[in-house]
Amino acid sequence: MSFDLKGTLKPLTALKQFGKKPHTLVDVPSIPLEASDHYRGFHYNDLDECIGCGNCSTICQNQAIDMVPVDGIEGKKGDSGLRPRVDHGRCCWCGLCVEVCPTGSLSLTKDYLYVSDDPDTFLWTPGVDNPEGKERISFFSTEETSLNDFGRIPMPELEGMDRVKSFAEVVLGYNEVQARAEASRCISCGLCTEACPEHMHIPEYINAIARGNDADAVRIIYDNNPLPEMCGKVCTRRCEDVCAIAHRGDPIAIRWLKRYTTETVKNADMIKEVVNPDIQEPNGYKVGIIGAGPSGLTVAYYLALKGFDCTIYEAHAKAGGMTMYGIPKYRFPEESLDKQIEYIQKIGVKIHFNTKVGKDISFKEIYSKYDAVFIGVGFPKPWTLGIEGEDLKGSIQAVNFLYEINNGKTVDIGDKVIVIGGGNVAIDAARVSARLGADVTILYRRRVQDMPADWEEIEGAEDEGIHIIPQAIPVKFYPDKKGHVKAVEYLKADMVADEKGGRPKPVPVEGSNTIIEATAVLGAIGQQGDYSFLEEEFSEKVKIERGRFVVNEKQQSTLDKLFAGGDAANRSADVISAIADGYMAVKGIEDLLVKGN
Amino acid sequence: MEEIKSTIIQRIKTHFSDATEKEYPYNRVDFSVKKETIPAILFYLKDEMGFKHLSHISCIDWLEENEFEVVFIVWSPTDKIKVFVHTRVDRENPVMDNVDMIWRQANTYEREMREMFGIQFTGLEAPEEFLLEDWEGPPPMRRDFDTEAYATNTYWERPGREDAKDIRETIEKRSGEILPDFAKKYTR
Repeated sequence: MSFDLKGTLKPLTALKQFGKKPHTLVDVPSIPLEASDHYRGFHYNDLDECIGCGNCSTICQNQAIDMVPVDGIEGKKGDSGLRPRVDHGRCCWCGLCVEVCPTGSLSLTKDYLYVSDDPDTFLWTPGVDNPEGKERISFFSTEETSLNDFGRIPMPELEGMDRVKSFAEVVLGYNEVQARAEASRCISCGLCTEACPEHMHIPEYINAIARGNDADAVRIIYDNNPLPEMCGKVCTRRCEDVCAIAHRGDPIAIRWLKRYTTETVKNADMIKEVVNPDIQEPNGYKVGIIGAGPSGLTVAYYLALKGFDCTIYEAHAKAGGMTMYGIPKYRFPEESLDKQIEYIQKIGVKIHFNTKVGKDISFKEIYSKYDAVFIGVGFPKPWTLGIEGEDLKGSIQAVNFLYEINNGKTVDIGDKVIVIGGGNVAIDAARVSARLGADVTILYRRRVQDMPADWEEIEGAEDEGIHIIPQAIPVKFYPDKKGHVKAVEYLKADMVADEKGGRPKPVPVEGSNTIIEATAVLGAIGQQGDYSFLEEEFSEKVKIERGRFVVNEKQQSTLDKLFAGGDAANRSADVISAIADGYMAVKGIEDLLVKGN
Repeated sequence: MEEIKSTIIQRIKTHFSDATEKEYPYNRVDFSVKKETIPAILFYLKDEMGFKHLSHISCIDWLEENEFEVVFIVWSPTDKIKVFVHTRVDRENPVMDNVDMIWRQANTYEREMREMFGIQFTGLEAPEEFLLEDWEGPPPMRRDFDTEAYATNTYWERPGREDAKDIRETIEKRSGEILPDFAKKYTR
């Protein structure tokens, strides 16, 4: 540091007090006085509550707070692993850091005396250096006094019993005022980006919305997600689970804000105009993609931007995979999807519809024709229950049922529908059945809180009058005279703790047999992959374990030029993981073909 | 109570033509006057109407309107009523009359407002410095005072803080996110 003349001379100005009469108390109390109840003394931080969001450091007008690693605290999803350290030479005890702390871990104590011979002990990490401060807290924030806004702007929705009258979209979406207000609640810590499989730039696009710049928000979103309207409507939003604000309030409605942004661009041409992608000159490499689901579309979009020639082979008449044929239209309308597919086609991606690999074209042909191949075929084949009567008429697989309905066909399900399962497919099938006018009951073998479906979906189903029977294990379907299913027999189950520490297991209770009537039974206990399109010479070489392709971190399979992603490669079974797989595969394919490693 | 309040309003408005009143529930009445009227109305309230006690003097910075608002709160121990007297002062040239000859303790409030907002009270006799020793910056309670910039420019970093980490960068690095440059202007 250079010689600081000002800093050296400044203390001398204290000499102007020289010669003045000091104000001295006559009776100095021998016991130090206890500070008042709300005194703002030294900081205390509850290290377990703190998530290292850094809001205290950002708000500090004196730049007195640094975020530093602390021994024994590891970063994880929802925790940066850093903790605030206070420069007591700068702190003015205004308490703003306490008032903006989203978790309430940071507080001030009554302690204000600190004497040390060492002038370099002005830096402290509250909670680490003063654990005794916990008993001395005097100034803290509550949900009421905190400067954070803990209440979410409510999302306008159709009323429960109005919804079942049609397939109209249930969620109505934020308007501009609501979106800006909701976005303004975000503290931009960025903890959410780590929980997102795709690591979307969440604080940046939310901040753009808050500042009124929707076009920038769209550009930031499209940087690593080519299907944001899909995610804006049906994402499993793990980001919201780790939101800093969620510790004491409602998480920022990240998914709804993304939805709002994508709805500001009304059609494919507008998306192209706003995103204004930098499409590079063709580089001569050709990539074949099997399946136009979220992962395949992502691979195609980002490779096409980089100058690759991308061709997608899709078995069905429309792109989107499960988001087109599995997710009901009241959650994800077809025009939303079409708009995004049209945009992806506009930048040069070719899609061959109604072309099933293994039937209309062989896998071998694709493999030899392209420089690299990506498989994103998903899990199309439903698991069966394996119980008596499952092949009766009226016993339908829920994915097939949703496929027919989404394809515009009708399915005769009668007026008493039983759905078996507790995932999103089960809830979707139940809510669609309710819209077709049926009385719906869901049988699930575990408890409601164990259901893998989104809690909002479960609540939505309950609002729509769907009856859920938990801890019920179906054992037999009974036929009527015409061989049509007429009733389902199930056993009640007890939940027994798993000794290995896993989920509690449902164990059927002897003699608890119950029979309920049904005009149709929809099975939704999960799906599996169908890789029958792989010829023997490939199925021998490519490693598939537990029904999924074995891939490395770049989504590369055991065959060098074969990549895989989506449900066929990951265990998450959601849209955003599929998109993340596709995005990683883009890097893998680029590395393989262009960079040669 | 209501009767006393309406008498106060009537008397003040008769004597001070520029006074506009605003009524509040319970025992509070507010008046707004021109700044030139302040000494006269305070004298009148104290000497003629029994508002013997000066409770507080406060200031509000209406940055967008380019004005300061100075508020005097006085209390009548006999009527148990408080009166707020508001006035506006031009922000560019914030000068108004000293009133410490009415209540001596006004002197302290005026010194504070002079230092914190930069309002000059004509004829105020008091040492230049109040709380801020060796202050060279603009009055710090003004809303356009940039505390962070002042702290950065005035104080220097003591060594020992170089290990501070940026939260966003830490998370970005750990998760392998690549944040594009054009998005960075929206980063906290």
